[in-house]
Amino acid sequence: MDNVANLMHGFSIALTAYHVGLMMAGVMLGILVGVLPGLGAPNGVSLLLPLTFTMDPVSAIILLTSMYWGALFGGSTTSILFNIPGEPSSVATTFDGYPMAKNGRAAHALTLAFLSAATGALFGVLVITLLSGWVAKFALKFSSPEFFAVYLLTFASFIGMGHSSPFKTVVSMMLGFAFAAIGMDTISGSLRLTFDMIELVKGISFLVAVIGLFGLGELLLTMEEGLRFDGIRARISPREVFQTVRELPRYWLTLLRSGLIGCWMGITPGGPTAASFMSYGIAKRFARRKDGYGKGEPAGVVAPETADHAAGTSAILPMLALGIPGSATAAVMMGGLMIWGMTPGPMLFIERPDFVWGLIASMYLGNVVAVVLVLATVPLFAAILRIPFSIIGPVIVVVCFIGAYTVDGSVFDMGLVLAFGLAGYVFKKLDYPIAPLVLAMVLGDKAEDAFRQSMIMSKGTLGIFWSNPLVGTIMTLALLLLLWPLASALVQRLGGAGSASSSVQAG
Amino acid sequence: MPMFPGRLPAGFVITRFAMEVATALVTAGIGAVVALGSLEYGTGWDDAGPQAGYFPFYIGLFIVLASLGTLTQAVLHQRGRQRGSREVFLNAEQAGRVLAFGLPMVAFVVATVLLGLYVATALYLFGVMVVQGKYRAWQAAAVGGGTAVFFFVLFEIWFQVPILKGPLEAWLGLH
Amino acid sequence: MKKTILAAALLASAFTAGAAGAADWKPAKPVEFVVTSGAGGGTDNFARTIQAIVTKHKLVAQPIVVVNKGGGNGAEGYVYSASAAGDPYKLTFGTNNQYLLPYVAKLGYKASDFAPVATMALDEFLIWVNGESPLKDTKAYVEAAKKPDGLRMGGSQSKDTDQTLVSLISQATGAKFTYIPFKSGGEAAVQLAGAHIDSNVNNPNENIGQWKAGMVRPLCVFSPARMEAGPKVAQGMGWSDIPTCKETGIAIDSYRMPRTVWLPAGAPPDAVAFYADLLKKVSATPEWKEYIERTSQSDAFMAGEDMIKFVKQDETRAVEVFKAEKWIVQ
Repeated sequence: MDNVANLMHGFSIALTAYHVGLMMAGVMLGILVGVLPGLGAPNGVSLLLPLTFTMDPVSAIILLTSMYWGALFGGSTTSILFNIPGEPSSVATTFDGYPMAKNGRAAHALTLAFLSAATGALFGVLVITLLSGWVAKFALKFSSPEFFAVYLLTFASFIGMGHSSPFKTVVSMMLGFAFAAIGMDTISGSLRLTFDMIELVKGISFLVAVIGLFGLGELLLTMEEGLRFDGIRARISPREVFQTVRELPRYWLTLLRSGLIGCWMGITPGGPTAASFMSYGIAKRFARRKDGYGKGEPAGVVAPETADHAAGTSAILPMLALGIPGSATAAVMMGGLMIWGMTPGPMLFIERPDFVWGLIASMYLGNVVAVVLVLATVPLFAAILRIPFSIIGPVIVVVCFIGAYTVDGSVFDMGLVLAFGLAGYVFKKLDYPIAPLVLAMVLGDKAEDAFRQSMIMSKGTLGIFWSNPLVGTIMTLALLLLLWPLASALVQRLGGAGSASSSVQAG
Repeated sequence: MPMFPGRLPAGFVITRFAMEVATALVTAGIGAVVALGSLEYGTGWDDAGPQAGYFPFYIGLFIVLASLGTLTQAVLHQRGRQRGSREVFLNAEQAGRVLAFGLPMVAFVVATVLLGLYVATALYLFGVMVVQGKYRAWQAAAVGGGTAVFFFVLFEIWFQVPILKGPLEAWLGLH
Repeated sequence: MKKTILAAALLASAFTAGAAGAADWKPAKPVEFVVTSGAGGGTDNFARTIQAIVTKHKLVAQPIVVVNKGGGNGAEGYVYSASAAGDPYKLTFGTNNQYLLPYVAKLGYKASDFAPVATMALDEFLIWVNGESPLKDTKAYVEAAKKPDGLRMGGSQSKDTDQTLVSLISQATGAKFTYIPFKSGGEAAVQLAGAHIDSNVNNPNENIGQWKAGMVRPLCVFSPARMEAGPKVAQGMGWSDIPTCKETGIAIDSYRMPRTVWLPAGAPPDAVAFYADLLKKVSATPEWKEYIERTSQSDAFMAGEDMIKFVKQDETRAVEVFKAEKWIVQ
């Protein structure tokens, strides 16, 4: 096979002491920026970019991508330990990761997250290696109607899984859509819902909302219960890692399913955020025991982490082959590629095979290096949790606010974080689900843009969503998933099962 | 910790019902603002599909309707309860703990705007450690100052991400 | 009123720039490069290239900090700088959106809140079609667009440079287009490569990857003369082989997007002169030439009077389109 030979050639480029050293440096820096909510992979990449101008392009991209892997892993760490997702794509990890940590299984949750993330990433690279020619062509098939169908599928797989009142789910999700609509409207080019406040011109950043809703909201709850993080004790021993490794095969179905979802979403590109939410939703829906989810179910950590990294990894391919950056980090990296004198696009694979395959080989190695290093940092993070709460609590507060400020350098955002923190606290206590709000905020404006672009294309007819087999299939699948809870409740009722147990949650 | 409980009367309680009603009213208000705010962009559907205000308008409307639904649920739930029994959202002790944590946080944000993030960080950590953690002043000063300096080096020098600064930094000539 | 203040400010800065070539003003603290686009956007590449050159040649003793503020089509960055009136440390990078955005949306800043420093380059616009498209030249293209269904034209953002050009083409030829706004030119490029739209008017840099692979094809360029000769890009064609649109019968002399640099209004004239001088030095470096060549833009350094004249012309024409399309707010 051509690709395997190319890959071997790639390994011969990537597997040098210098490159492995670069990987380690990149990963360490990545973990640092990933852990701090104020900084993210884009910061790290922009910081390193000037350094790379003098480097060989392969070395440069290895450094940058390794930093990206490190940041992805670091983001999961704060999600699990403090309920503060560093990246949109690690929000779903908080759902079960944080409860696990609270129940005293922080080390277990972290190890599980890292290992499933690495599995997902390897899954993604394998797909890239084997299908590189075909994948780019597949991605080209996607236009606005297909994107809308994918977003709808994400919502459909996630919705209707809560135990809370359907009204509260609707309020939460619609608030998310409303926040997403604030600011510049791509389709009409006018500002919406800014009420002439210049602070709202840029819209409400998803990160600001999440830092408040999850980070501060959780701190307030912790304080009220007088818990002071006593529950969290993360100690990690090689034995524990080993045990978790042995435990991993038990989740093979979740791993496989999430890996597939991740690759699909990475390639199309629906993105890692959609992938992790969808994967969590599906895992829960098809789980035998649904009750454990949200209270510290290990599979609830495995599913989003695998999908997140599978998507993040496989998204590199459309970036290289088509020149569409799937994320802010990818956009900065593409800027780098151009400065190094390369043009992302279909010809890159033909013109610079050494670069492309060196990069792909480095993705295998980089992820292995990253998982080893990140496991090594677990005791360090565990130690942080042993600091008395009257110190670490305020430090987390400070980190939350600095994080919110750095998103856009806006004082107004710090006030917003405060408001979202209060909302997160009240919502949690009154059983409003927060996840639908977050999901709607992330995908809301994208879904709206895709829908309205489709309508411009079709001159206002909905038929465009069934105009070809691809979009028709995704759309039908989405509607089926959406109606599933209703249908199953109906079947239950017709079957004469006790109607009290019928739970049409949040349709 | 015992900063505030003493000041709240022992019988102080926020009932869950009151909180449900208040929250539903707030979300309904947001919904109304969103729906009204989107009127100016056109809420119809023309040959280019939905206009700019179409989705926000119906989103706002849905928020209002669902909030009214929550309100109704809360009222029905309350009616179904026995008289005299109350579901508690927050009692005096919990409220005290939340305020003891929340008020310094608000003070921190205000201080940030006036003094910049670094100075506010140092003061906030110092204050909380001394008053609530009962640490010695020098320990608190070391942790507060150390954290502020650490963040300064990390953000300003290493990552070159400028963060809100105040009069002290200006006086010291740090930019 | 607005215009006179602008003109006065421009005049003042132009005068001092001319009179005191070696101004006394020097930055005494780190300079902020305010980028009015997100990371990876065209304006971001523009600003970071300048940052790299300034740093490499040590043209400024103080460090440079790049901040991306691309929210609201760049309005976020302009509002941010405009609120720091007189601050000579907020060098703001943009395009013609600096003076055109306030016409089409209520944004909280006015074009006159800025003093122009320099225009560094002009980015070209071309008409592109899918590589497999039967439309081989501009004539066939215009004919096809005159049919009742018209053509589906993709572009970056709404009421921005791309849509303005599409509107100009309609006016000049009577062609009909359905304009579909995407988030970026890159997205429009991929949509064209996948044949989901019939055409786009991307800048060279946004479509070159797809052109190399033969997935898209240029029909004509909106520059007054053909572009500079360079290596062949695809199908034995180089940039200079692309006819100008004027040659092929579309009556638009030129349509190009300036890459502009600004300071908040009220900044010391010496500071404006300092940066104009600095950017002039930047534009003389080999790295700058390399950037211009790589992105197939036209090198066009303009400061002072030249820039004012250019801005005025560009603004007048765009505003005519805005009026015809009823995009103007208030």
